[in-house]
Amino acid sequence: MSDATLVQPRTEFLRGFSMRDAGTLIGLIVILAVFGALVPGFFAERNLINILQQSSINACLALGMTQVIISGGIDLSVGPTAALSAVISASMMVAGVPFPLAVGAGFAIGLLCGLVNGILVAHVGLQPFIVTLGTLSTYRALALIYTGGNPVLGLPAGFRAIFNSSLFGLPLAVIIVAFVAIAAWIVLKKTPFGEYLLAVGGNEEAAYIAGVPIARTKIAAYMISGLLAALAAQILIGRLGAAEPILGNLWELDAIAAAAIGGASLMGGKGSVVGTILGAVILGAMRNGLTLMNVQSFYQLLATGLIILAAMLIDRVTRGRG
Amino acid sequence: MSVRLQFDGISKLFPAVRALHEVSFSVGAGEIHGLLGENGAGKSTLLRILSGVYRPTAGSVLIDGKPVTLANPVAARAAGVAMIHQELQQVPRLSVAQNMFLGHPLTRGSIFVARREQERRAAEALAAIGPSIDPAAPLSTLKVAQRQMVEIARALLDRARIVAMDEPTSSLTPSEFERLAEVIKGLARDGVAIVYVSHKLDEVFGICRRATIMRDGIVVDSVDLKSLSEKAVVAMMVGRELAQEQHNSHASSQVMLSVRGLASTKVRDVSFDLHRGEVLGIAGLVGSGRTELLRLLAGVDRATTGSIVINGKAIKPASPRDAIAAGIGLVPEERKREGIVPLRSITSNMALASMSVFAPHGIIDHRGLKQIAAEKMKRVNLRPFLLDRPIRLFSGGNQQKAIIGRWLAAGTRILLFDEPTRGIDVGAKAEIYHLIEELAAEGHSVVVVSSELPEVIRLADRVLVMRDGAIAAELGRADLSEQAIAAHAIPQTRTPAAEPARQ
Repeated sequence: MSDATLVQPRTEFLRGFSMRDAGTLIGLIVILAVFGALVPGFFAERNLINILQQSSINACLALGMTQVIISGGIDLSVGPTAALSAVISASMMVAGVPFPLAVGAGFAIGLLCGLVNGILVAHVGLQPFIVTLGTLSTYRALALIYTGGNPVLGLPAGFRAIFNSSLFGLPLAVIIVAFVAIAAWIVLKKTPFGEYLLAVGGNEEAAYIAGVPIARTKIAAYMISGLLAALAAQILIGRLGAAEPILGNLWELDAIAAAAIGGASLMGGKGSVVGTILGAVILGAMRNGLTLMNVQSFYQLLATGLIILAAMLIDRVTRGRG
Repeated sequence: MSVRLQFDGISKLFPAVRALHEVSFSVGAGEIHGLLGENGAGKSTLLRILSGVYRPTAGSVLIDGKPVTLANPVAARAAGVAMIHQELQQVPRLSVAQNMFLGHPLTRGSIFVARREQERRAAEALAAIGPSIDPAAPLSTLKVAQRQMVEIARALLDRARIVAMDEPTSSLTPSEFERLAEVIKGLARDGVAIVYVSHKLDEVFGICRRATIMRDGIVVDSVDLKSLSEKAVVAMMVGRELAQEQHNSHASSQVMLSVRGLASTKVRDVSFDLHRGEVLGIAGLVGSGRTELLRLLAGVDRATTGSIVINGKAIKPASPRDAIAAGIGLVPEERKREGIVPLRSITSNMALASMSVFAPHGIIDHRGLKQIAAEKMKRVNLRPFLLDRPIRLFSGGNQQKAIIGRWLAAGTRILLFDEPTRGIDVGAKAEIYHLIEELAAEGHSVVVVSSELPEVIRLADRVLVMRDGAIAAELGRADLSEQAIAAHAIPQTRTPAAEPARQ
């Protein structure tokens, strides 16, 4: 084989993969430019860090959501999964359990919630939308029943200090999510699991005949989503110092929006870690800018809706040109 | 008898394929006219033109002597054409009556559906052809034969002057067929022209007086069945010049795969051996269980009984993963649906079956993967040679090469091809043939299922002919001819050998 044949595909590879991400990046730049012009102090270092911090929880959830969406599914239960994880971790800490153990238990709850979703989808064969709609209510109910509807207050200072700390001037939450993003990128691009995910979502029948472990792949995607929901929950209760059973309401919609803006297709088989992160930052930057402009929350909602629709329209118009 | 339906010089060109060439024949009012030919002879294309799905490239359709434009299925229906498909095109959850009025419901004041009136008229139409079917029952509660009656009753409702039936009996029992035959004859007595497509020659001989025989998109002849034997008709159906290229066998005596008594719902008691370096052809009509047999071997479906032994080791594949681990790989018939992951690159598609090999420590060695991909794709002569391009942008032939490369990369020793050249142009076809021969020469064992008899004869060292889910015959190279295969593949009442198998 000649070297020429090995070199050419490489440019093809870069072109094919970064085009959609470049589009999302342009979208982010446009939004930053608009707010930079309209809002004094928008580009202040402190505000930019604020945007990242405010985007971090949604980005964390959206990274898990991206895996599930690529597999051809959807996870509507991330908010209640986070709530259940949060109240259980918090009540353990309040009861005096060392916090690494309590946090570990919270992660285990997240994995368990994802496992239940995954089994119902992959082994029982139910539709992902309906399964996670059902567990959305179920997990929320469990969190409410467990706490009697009351917030769990008085988290230990040591735990709170960790999640409120900064490294190199960046909040720990941002750094954690950055690591998660790198890990997610590696998983998607560099591991067999990533290839399986794209294949299962892209053509399940063909993937099955090619020997891809369909059920295992799908279950793993839901478990990753559950785990990242639990991580988001720990970040939030660390910041707030309390865990409410109703936390994470409508988180799933922001996460889906970030993934979709970033180029994930709800038909499955398509999605990008870089795009999802950019999508989450777009949503975060927009909310931050509108808040600084003192725009009523009604209009923030409107802006969110329009951005999602605009991203999808641009997607539709540019598709089929590659 | 007046001419009701006339095809006048119908040609149909698809990109790179001439599906029909100057097809002309006519069907009289009250005539049941057989339309015969092998798979791919052009029967289905002709019926699609008649039912308005396709438009002919040249030529015209005349009904009662007048040229008609069948621009779409609605126009065809308005012109009096009713089509009864092999796969019934109905909505199972709706009622019988709703299905019969699908697309043009009876209404009250053009707003509300006149459900009662629909059911009354549906019942009338059903009564006219006999069966006692409740028009209010959901269609899904009916048996296939009853559903067929519903379709015919619908044709009556539409006052169809022409009824085209595509393999109407493929899933009927003999007594159900008798019933259907009576209904068809009744339609004919009322002056309806019937075009009857079937592979079952005995049925065609039983209810048709005349038939048109097609081959490779042209009409061989329109014949009077009273003056011909089934054998003569078969010869006309398959009698093209045999594509005899020289054939080299690489089969050794070493048995690679041994199948005994394999059975499922569609496969009955199949036993055979496959040798190292052998190309084993499996012929038979569509629906004879060929694809199902391959799916059992490849672990896609599970066998109810029987054994599969590979290299002396018994396996019970519960999934393709198991079969692949044992060294069996399937190149499926429906490439788009079962073969490729369209958005992914050639490399990803190729590596799908052997990912773990390329990721010994959990992380994919992209450099090694690229090298293997380049090597295998060079081997199968992929064109254009762009390994990171999404596979959907390649031609069917090159997609097929990538799927073959998938099994080469996985080190698969037993390759199962289901219709290896379906939807592949002529040039790539020859490449695929050469590739299959080379694979055998290298010591792979190959099974080729094909509806194209010249393809089977070109490739196979030995051919198993399947009929009704069982192996009807085994033909060695010396006995191999299209006539011989067809004689075993097509159920013929007068073949003594077929009698015990039927019981």
